[in-house]
Amino acid sequence: MNFKKAISLFLIMVLTFAILSGCTGTKEQASKEQKVLRVSMALGESEWEVMKNKIFPIFEKENNVKIEAVQIEASDLITKLEAMHKAGKMEIDIITQDNMQLAQLVEKGLVEDLSEYRDMIPENVIKALIPVGEFNGKLYFMPYRPNVEINFYNEKKFNEYGIKPPTNWDELLKVAKTFKEKEGIGRVAIKGTLDGNTTVQLFEFIRQAGGDPLVLNDEGSIKAYTFLKELWPYLSPDSKKADWNTMNKYLATESVYYGANWPFGVNVIVRDGGKKEIKAHAGFAGPVKKSKVLGGEVIGIPVGSPNKELAVKFMQFLMSKETQELLVTEMGWPSCRTDAYGKVEEWQKPYFEAVKEALKVSQPRPNVTYWDTVDKALNDAFREIVIEGKDVKTTLDKYAKVIADAKK
Amino acid sequence: MMSSVKKDRLGKIIDVSFFPLLIFFSLIMLIPVYILVKVSISQPVDVLTQHPTFLIRNFTWDHWIKVLTSGKLWPAFRKSFTVATLTAIFAIIIATPASYVISRLPKKVKYIVILGLFFTRMFPNVGIALPIAVKFLKWNLMDTYIGLVLAHLIEQLPFITWILVGTFEVIPVDLEKSAMIDGASRLRALMSIVIPNAAPGIAVATLFVWLNSWNEFTYALYLSLSDNTLPLQVYYYVNRGGFFQTATYATILTIPVAVVTYALQRYLKSDYLGGAIK
Repeated sequence: MNFKKAISLFLIMVLTFAILSGCTGTKEQASKEQKVLRVSMALGESEWEVMKNKIFPIFEKENNVKIEAVQIEASDLITKLEAMHKAGKMEIDIITQDNMQLAQLVEKGLVEDLSEYRDMIPENVIKALIPVGEFNGKLYFMPYRPNVEINFYNEKKFNEYGIKPPTNWDELLKVAKTFKEKEGIGRVAIKGTLDGNTTVQLFEFIRQAGGDPLVLNDEGSIKAYTFLKELWPYLSPDSKKADWNTMNKYLATESVYYGANWPFGVNVIVRDGGKKEIKAHAGFAGPVKKSKVLGGEVIGIPVGSPNKELAVKFMQFLMSKETQELLVTEMGWPSCRTDAYGKVEEWQKPYFEAVKEALKVSQPRPNVTYWDTVDKALNDAFREIVIEGKDVKTTLDKYAKVIADAKK
Repeated sequence: MMSSVKKDRLGKIIDVSFFPLLIFFSLIMLIPVYILVKVSISQPVDVLTQHPTFLIRNFTWDHWIKVLTSGKLWPAFRKSFTVATLTAIFAIIIATPASYVISRLPKKVKYIVILGLFFTRMFPNVGIALPIAVKFLKWNLMDTYIGLVLAHLIEQLPFITWILVGTFEVIPVDLEKSAMIDGASRLRALMSIVIPNAAPGIAVATLFVWLNSWNEFTYALYLSLSDNTLPLQVYYYVNRGGFFQTATYATILTIPVAVVTYALQRYLKSDYLGGAIK
């Protein structure tokens, strides 16, 4: 090797190591300068803007602290916290997490028991939100943000065929049949991905018929599965691929004219996509009642949080009337408090009203340790009965036994 | 006689169908990329419809402007680019001499070593990412470039060593011996004769490592907290449901891939060794 080449190689290596050492040093320097509260949330861009510009600065000023926000999706939070927990280096002080994904955090011992802070829950918090954070009698999560699926519909298409959004099962079947008849293809969709997305919808149908999803072979459950079996041939083929994400696409691209999804779809379809003809309502009732699954987010503190005291203060701050009112006004999120009023933007109002209406009939999912079994049983029963056409009663008996065994 | 007629017919069929097939398969590969670019520069009215048009009717830079001015692109781009480049540099520096040595080992030993290399790749990343992330966290490598580079090297080193062993194997030992007869030292023979002859293989290996690191997702997800890589940014937009920003980020993700592939393709020559032996 000649001298020139050796020097070049040496310089490249020196430069590389210089870059690397520079990259590793910055974080430590920053942490020495200021106390930092690391908050994990899963938000859209516009929501982050509100958090960073309107919500965080209030707490930062009051407590002389810098909030460092990190974006971690609900499904990734568990694995990330698990890695940090196992390494003994918890880097996150406080989390807000989807209430559909709490059981694993508790089972793996990743979150603090917050029972001693139960008194911090404000008087005016919607009472149904508290049990969502309870596991085995202990409180692990605080209420923060309620959420519920609303039913989106393409107003233009409904008007074109002279029909209205369904208010009960009979009308839902009629709407589905009308679209299929007029266009030759189903335009009503349910989420049929046979995972947590489908579970939410099955909970709603079963409860609407007066059944208990944890029993599964009661009269209500039989009615629900029987109805879904009847409805299935008239549904959009997209139903099999429709989840919380793709449902937005199907509605926006008009391959589906009617389908339920979480309200964030409003921003994607209406605000960003400009599809003003997509409206929403609170959904339909079953033979017994209206019922929706109470979703949303809760607040938790990871075990080993480096700033637990500050995290508790921040938790309290997020539940406060002022913060909740800001969340209503700036984000259009429904509040977890009954005394927090805000003014949503004009275009958001009809959707916000639909959310509020749906919340009135929403029920939380039960926090049971055998949740995975329930989830699988409900979806397997759906596949066998609704998609493959098997007998309703026999199939539900089979899966009811699976759930009953898991209960033991 | 019959067989030569058959061969002629086959030859004619190949001649006639070569370009149509070439165009057909090129289109199959290019159309998804075109749609990606199209969505990123189209107004919602062109895309969010039952029958979207193939050509761009209502052009807009809005999504690009939004992404370019969001302040989130450049840190992610810088991180992805730096990590991919450093991973490629380190991988080549480590794997080239290692592969050369392995290629010159006795056949049985070489076979065992190569099997050993593959053994490390038998486990899916998802399965081993957690224990690796735990170790890296203990070493304070969370959110650092070096952490991600090391994690990517775990994945890439066995793979490119295997590619390079194949490259060095086809370079005749006689070529080195000839150089040494002419007075070159072993190191000189390696640097001046073997490595230049192995350049196409090294280029392919570099390209692979760079692309794999650029697109890598699992380790980036575990080891990133504040600063995302570009694939994580795309994942973020997919999760948050923004069609147009997702398409824009995905397009941006493909641009350096095209540039790097174009820059390295000149080294990908098949007849490099023709007439090299004295």
